[in-house]
Amino acid sequence: MFKKILIANRGEIAVRIIRACKEMGITSVAVYTEADSKSLHVALADEKYCIGKAESKTSYLNQELIISVALLSKAEAIHPGYGFLSENADFAKLCQKNNIVFIGPNPESMKLFSNKSKLKEIITKTGIKVIPGTVVIKTIDEAEKAASAIGYPLMLKACEGGGGRGIRLIFNASMLKASFDEATREALQAFANGDLYIEKYISPARHIEFQILADENKNVVCLGERDCSIQRKNQKLIEESPSPAISETKRLEMMELITKAIKEIGYIGAGTLEFLLDSNGDFWFMEMNLRLQVEHGVTEMLTGFDIVKWQIRIASGMKLDFTQKDIKIKGCAIECRINAKSCGTTHLLNVPGGPSVRFDTFIVTGYTMTPYYDSLLGKLIVFAKTREESLRKLRASLCELVIEGVETNRGEQLQIVLDDKFSNGSYDLTFMNNR
Amino acid sequence: MNLFLYPNNQLEEGGRPSQLLEQQNQIVKTCPNCRREVNKDKGVCFCGYHFRISARERISLICDANSFHELFTGLKSKDPLSFPLYKEKLKSVEQISGEEEGVVCGKAKIGRQNCCIFAMEPNFLMGSMGTIVGEKITLLFEYATKNHLPIIGVTLSGGARMHEGLLSLMQMAKTSMAVKYHSDAGLLYIALLADPTTGGVTASFAMEADIIIAEPGATVGFAGKRVIEQTTRRTLPEKFQKAEFVLEHGFIDLIIERSNLRKVLTSLLRMHRGE
Repeated sequence: MFKKILIANRGEIAVRIIRACKEMGITSVAVYTEADSKSLHVALADEKYCIGKAESKTSYLNQELIISVALLSKAEAIHPGYGFLSENADFAKLCQKNNIVFIGPNPESMKLFSNKSKLKEIITKTGIKVIPGTVVIKTIDEAEKAASAIGYPLMLKACEGGGGRGIRLIFNASMLKASFDEATREALQAFANGDLYIEKYISPARHIEFQILADENKNVVCLGERDCSIQRKNQKLIEESPSPAISETKRLEMMELITKAIKEIGYIGAGTLEFLLDSNGDFWFMEMNLRLQVEHGVTEMLTGFDIVKWQIRIASGMKLDFTQKDIKIKGCAIECRINAKSCGTTHLLNVPGGPSVRFDTFIVTGYTMTPYYDSLLGKLIVFAKTREESLRKLRASLCELVIEGVETNRGEQLQIVLDDKFSNGSYDLTFMNNR
Repeated sequence: MNLFLYPNNQLEEGGRPSQLLEQQNQIVKTCPNCRREVNKDKGVCFCGYHFRISARERISLICDANSFHELFTGLKSKDPLSFPLYKEKLKSVEQISGEEEGVVCGKAKIGRQNCCIFAMEPNFLMGSMGTIVGEKITLLFEYATKNHLPIIGVTLSGGARMHEGLLSLMQMAKTSMAVKYHSDAGLLYIALLADPTTGGVTASFAMEADIIIAEPGATVGFAGKRVIEQTTRRTLPEKFQKAEFVLEHGFIDLIIERSNLRKVLTSLLRMHRGE
């Protein structure tokens, strides 16, 4: 096992990883910027290094700097969390070169799977249904030809896109013509790769993702799914597991299909396969996330398996000590993301508690919310035996959460949880737009 | 901001050893004695030269695996005299050595026998004795006296820490008192003098042990050789202040090679228990 791990991230996920390290007896090394010096992850870590001013480009995204800190502090591995360098194959390669373990997939499979159109080719071969679409399209003529074959409406997506960015909804041929060049430019700027592809637009649909863990010995388990259909502008707000829209037999069928596929493609580490579930009950594969997800806690609360610890164990070469049979999908876990709507200093913080209530955050009383990083303040996750009980618990916990000094979306989240459509589980991706 | 306590969880077992650490252990060093290249993790050259090793390496070399439990952590030096650049110096040596202070104390098992152990850290201002080093060693002797435990002390020091002036010198008296109380209780104290053991440390707890062992070739003395030569205007013998020379003149009892150390300490502890 690694004696020391560097956490190349900030915020609640850095705190989450440090907690796992503390339980496992691993020394944790935090990196932070001047803007984050009063953050909880800095206070909790065993060793801490300031890596610059607030701007993430020169700090949390500075690969050489982070490697230098790891070498200086003699950290054996780097956990990238999510965002920042977590899906950067070059960074994983740089770690490998310096004999530091990157906690995630190896750089080769990262390079291969992060290209969405290539990944789809691979996944199609495993028998999973993939959203009808194209491989990389280079010219507008190619795009028009492909579009008429698939049929409108459709989505124009960037090959290297992610996190809801680089996606355009296209209704007709003239719109495609107008958007194509603009989308190429934008993708080039945002992801340093202007490649685009076309995908059928499926609506109404639900966003369902399956969590997997795979070790080096080709043991693969699927830890069930998460329903992430409550989204605003492609940003997830509420996630739950299991999804109220999937029957038990369908779930088992999908889980079997997915574990088989992951074994075939030889992926190692924690990962998430994202699907759209259409109104006929069919799953269409969209993409795969090669990292820890923000909403991993939902699956942890439901199944009782610690995904972060297993990421670390897998990276150090350990085998999974459980099989698919040990995974019980019983009860219901729901997560509400608490986002900041303004900057400011928290002068009062009350965190909800009680049985099976979890609040993952990095803020403490006196923390100043800055505009430099994303707006996620914390994740409120509850678990109960039934969905109804979970909803009640979530409502009560949301009311108990107090963050004074920073404006939050607590009230809006409560309204969503109180909504009939959400309560009876019959929502889809259009939920937020129809409100 | 040090609000949190340490959970002291043992490291989980399993997985493969890290390549980074293996690579760092394989760093080759040139032996200053015979000029041959030596693998650093061996710690001893073919010619018998003993490289300096850190306090924790020393502890893991002497004690039974996973038996060391550190005591008196979280004590850090202040800058009572506002000595120029002392604070900065402390910060940088803390990073270099990975230790909070110049000595690591704790209880452990050697050959399955309970004992207390302290080891001084060469990478922390050459193990110099300031107020905290003195305090930690005193605390350890008091702890050992209370719990009827023998003490193994690895001394490695340039002497009293000049940055803390008279306060450092006071540690000589303080630690000596604690050694005396420990001795009066009929308990065993074995000192292992590593290279170098000099100045205020030699003049206090290093030379007060019941059994004084030295590592081969270690420098053991009070004032430095050059200082004595310049003051007395006399040339001193070549091996002056080397462990072998000091043994010949009756100041130490034994010279033990690093590889035999655990065996010798185990039997000494056993003999003292009357087994």
